[in-house]
Amino acid sequence: MSLTPRLGKRGHFSKVFKGIIVDYMDQEERLIGVVPVGEVPEIALKVIAAHISGYFNLDPQVLAPLVSPDYAFDQRRMQYDAGIILKTLESMTFSDFEKVVAVLNLDLFVPIFAHVFGEARQGGKFALVSLYRLGKNPEDLSSPSPLMYERAAKVALHELGHLFNLYHCERQRCLMHFSGGLESLDQTPLNLCRYCSADYKYYLSR
Amino acid sequence: MDKKMSVMVVDDEEIVRESFFHWFQKYGHMVETASSGFEALEKLEKNPFQVMFVDIKMPGMDGIELLEKVKQEYPDTIVIIITAYGSIESAVKAMRIGASDYLLKPFKTDQLSLVMERISQQEKLVSEYKYLKGRLEKITRFENIIGQSAAIERVFSIIPEVAQSNSSILLVGETGTGKELVAKAIHAKSHRCHLPFIPINCGSIPDSLLESELFGHQKGAFTGATHARKGFLEVVSGGTLFLDEVGEISPKMQVDLLRVLEEKKITSIGSREPVDIDFRLISATRQDLERGIADGTFREDFYYRINVIKIEIPPLRDRKEDIPILLEHFIEKYSHETTSQIDRATPKALEFLKQYDWPGNVRELENAVERAVVLSKSRTLGAEDFSFLQSPTPALSSPLSLRDMEKRYIQQLLEENQWNVSKTAKVLEINRVTLHKMINRYKLERPAETK
Repeated sequence: MSLTPRLGKRGHFSKVFKGIIVDYMDQEERLIGVVPVGEVPEIALKVIAAHISGYFNLDPQVLAPLVSPDYAFDQRRMQYDAGIILKTLESMTFSDFEKVVAVLNLDLFVPIFAHVFGEARQGGKFALVSLYRLGKNPEDLSSPSPLMYERAAKVALHELGHLFNLYHCERQRCLMHFSGGLESLDQTPLNLCRYCSADYKYYLSR
Repeated sequence: MDKKMSVMVVDDEEIVRESFFHWFQKYGHMVETASSGFEALEKLEKNPFQVMFVDIKMPGMDGIELLEKVKQEYPDTIVIIITAYGSIESAVKAMRIGASDYLLKPFKTDQLSLVMERISQQEKLVSEYKYLKGRLEKITRFENIIGQSAAIERVFSIIPEVAQSNSSILLVGETGTGKELVAKAIHAKSHRCHLPFIPINCGSIPDSLLESELFGHQKGAFTGATHARKGFLEVVSGGTLFLDEVGEISPKMQVDLLRVLEEKKITSIGSREPVDIDFRLISATRQDLERGIADGTFREDFYYRINVIKIEIPPLRDRKEDIPILLEHFIEKYSHETTSQIDRATPKALEFLKQYDWPGNVRELENAVERAVVLSKSRTLGAEDFSFLQSPTPALSSPLSLRDMEKRYIQQLLEENQWNVSKTAKVLEINRVTLHKMINRYKLERPAETK
């Protein structure tokens, strides 16, 4: 898969992923911001943007990085509170963008959970994607996994799905199926099932 | 997890409530939060919840206290306890009180998913169970005893009252009045409803066989007893034993049963070891047992033992106002069961059925409707479809003149032959013209539907 094109140009990516994407071509441009928070590898941002364009047929733009969210660091857990980061993002203006996906290379948590790969509010504007645990190999945690970028894209699309008010889906062959670990994440496809796809289409048509 | 549920999260920490709230929202569940046990109980009063996630440590009312109250007042609500590391003991205590599961904070996302998956499956099983139980109750409950008359209403009102006690019941009623249906209804309304209901028709089983059926036997107890077999008194274990035609039981068997009822123990044939048993006895008879006592065929002590509560089931002739509703029910039943498409009965048919004396009671009516439905060629049942029933016999109560007798007989034969004069004349062995003359003389009129 070629990852060299200019970001933000939907037409190019829709050719790259031709045959996979559902046809929502007739809708107006919907801008999606992809914003790095702290230090994030550029390739990850490009892959996420490419997948947003290819699979959701939206117009992603990679934005300038935001500072590392030290304000959300929990000393006791040595992790970053996803809820606090989301609240901070919500207080910022991203008026040109319908939805914003923030990408971090930090270990995120939600108070009740040990860690999360991503977080978003149902029907909200901001989603978080953490690369921190995605590079691990489920078989051997010490070796990096080549699947990290695909996983990052999957988490980003899944969280973006929540922003478009898609619920968790019980069908295993659906992007919106919940995956709690890397193994199940790897089994989750990048596509929406036809039911969630219909819901997504309905959301966009409103 | 495809079923959307109503979930309440009770935790004094706002961030925990928020985390849960956003998580459940992603599944489309209906989520409510409460910051204390008191608030949770208030919200429960307004709306029932299927699942509650309750933090064990809360100021005021703690999770255990809330759990106790919820389990007491809303036993169907599934409670999951949330606890921090190091408070396993309280979690164990909570499980003993009735919590379905517990989660140690912070937990992995898939742990919560797994818990919800289990709850969903449990809910599915419970709802399936309730559905099947409801269907079973419908089969065995009042729906099968049909009637609106004051006579049957009295029976309806007594069923729930007596169902809760363990006293022996004697159902007295003519054949076909629905004694077994009443017995089943009592069983279904009692706390024994999930245990067996075993009906035995004492009149149809020879005495020696009845003994082995009731008490069971050991292997080799008698010729042909090739293996040990438990008797119904043991098999019924906690359920209801229905002895139909109890008046047919021999005096010896009455003595044996009397002992069982007094001692609550049985000894199977060929064994010396008594076994404890528990059952509720409902007996039924169509005979006058008191006359049996006077004749010496029925034991008085056994009679009083089985007759703690007596329910008299009225014969159909005493509740003729129930005939229309019974007729409608049976027409619908047999139209479904057979290929005949019958919509209703004509008013004349209903009038005819109301005049009939029904010695076989509801069973006879049911059989009559079944036969009429099967044989009828029209979509409505007319009086002629029931012509096989014996006509009302007012002649017995008030003597008829020969002229009236002749008139009635001709009328009956005409109806049986669908007013086919030639056929009727042939049966009467008279000329067709003569029959016409008689019809005119007696002013007999052909019913509208046979014209």
